[in-house]
Amino acid sequence: MNLKDYIESGIIESYVMGLASESERAEFERLCAQHPELVAARRKFEEGIEASAKEQALPTPPEVKVKIFEAIGKTAPSSLSSTSPIPPKIHNMENSKSPARGLGMLRLVAAAAVVLLIAMVWLYMQAKQQNQDLTKENDGLKVQRDTAQNILDRIVQEQKQAIGDPNTTVVNMVGTKSAPKSSANVYWDSASSSVYLVVKNMPKLPNDQQYQLWALIDGKPSDLGVFDASKDDKVILKMKNTRKAQAFAITIEKRGGSPSPTLEKMQSMGKATQTQ
Amino acid sequence: MLALKERNNQAFGFLYDNYAGALYSIIKQIITENNELASDVLQEVFINIWRKIETYDQTKGRLFTWMLNIARNASIDMLRSKGYQNSQKNQELPDNVYKGGVSQITQQNVDNIGLKKVLEKLKPEHRVLVELAYFKGFTHEEIADMMSIPLGTVKTRIRNALLQLREYLK
Repeated sequence: MNLKDYIESGIIESYVMGLASESERAEFERLCAQHPELVAARRKFEEGIEASAKEQALPTPPEVKVKIFEAIGKTAPSSLSSTSPIPPKIHNMENSKSPARGLGMLRLVAAAAVVLLIAMVWLYMQAKQQNQDLTKENDGLKVQRDTAQNILDRIVQEQKQAIGDPNTTVVNMVGTKSAPKSSANVYWDSASSSVYLVVKNMPKLPNDQQYQLWALIDGKPSDLGVFDASKDDKVILKMKNTRKAQAFAITIEKRGGSPSPTLEKMQSMGKATQTQ
Repeated sequence: MLALKERNNQAFGFLYDNYAGALYSIIKQIITENNELASDVLQEVFINIWRKIETYDQTKGRLFTWMLNIARNASIDMLRSKGYQNSQKNQELPDNVYKGGVSQITQQNVDNIGLKKVLEKLKPEHRVLVELAYFKGFTHEEIADMMSIPLGTVKTRIRNALLQLREYLK
């Protein structure tokens, strides 16, 4: 049989429209199984019929849908288009004949797995980012600590140098009558004019008072800065520089220091053996 | 499709929303005079679709084709039922229609809708055969008998008419 003639015989149309006889139907179905082009021609006519019928769609009586769902024992799902004269264009359900249609559940699971995977990757990235941030912060702190250590080392070194320097004059401050136990050492580097003070024994003062170091230059007191005495007395204090000094004195002044010393509060005093 | 075969409520509602209008149009082209009966047929058709969905074989055609044939068969059954005949008793008897010949049927269906509208483009002698076969549900033999033409001619004319129909549907 010539397939082209068969296709053009009107059998497709008879079959699709339900006008073919039983034997014609059987033959047509048998040939469809053998000839994909026959199936394609049938499908094309079916699509034409469907499109035409949809174009001619009539509004359905609204109660019919409710009655149908009552009859099949389910409640009608709400719909916007149940009474619409022209049904909306839809994705043709049975158009995709592949078996993949039957894998809806599998698709759902696959989709869920993909979502889960994405979530996990995201969480991993978050954790990694956090880790990186912390490492960076840690490194920053290390650098800061090292820098602080270096600065401290340098200061200690400088001070050790000053103290051990042959140019440095050590002035042993001794207590006055009003504070016989007070004692401190002044290290005066005459070359660099630096003045360091090591408090040996100075009583703790009320919060509104501070000790003040003076250099006595040609009989006149010159302010070298204020300091607090604490129990941890071993600290070396860097005071203001002075090029000249015949003696050093420590007084008790109000917090922040005074422009001129309160001599009756003189705590200790020492003579610079080396004068410039 | 799977959702339908599993009797998924949502899928069936979707099916209804998208095809009921088109099927109702076909039903009304067959049951022309009685809207109430047409809507009863529509209801029956969808209940049948629901019940028989697992018998739908997609190798034999598209879902719409299957539904369309259910709608057509149900409509023709209704057309031939006693209830329908009684409701039409004041109308012309079918026999009179056929005796009146081609022109009368042609006249009767001028303002028709859907596929019938497409049929208007066919030659009258072709068109009446399709009318009788498709919309009235008569077999080729019955038509040959009624029209007093050879069965072979009926078959050929119907086939030719359907082929023309295909051209109009393109």
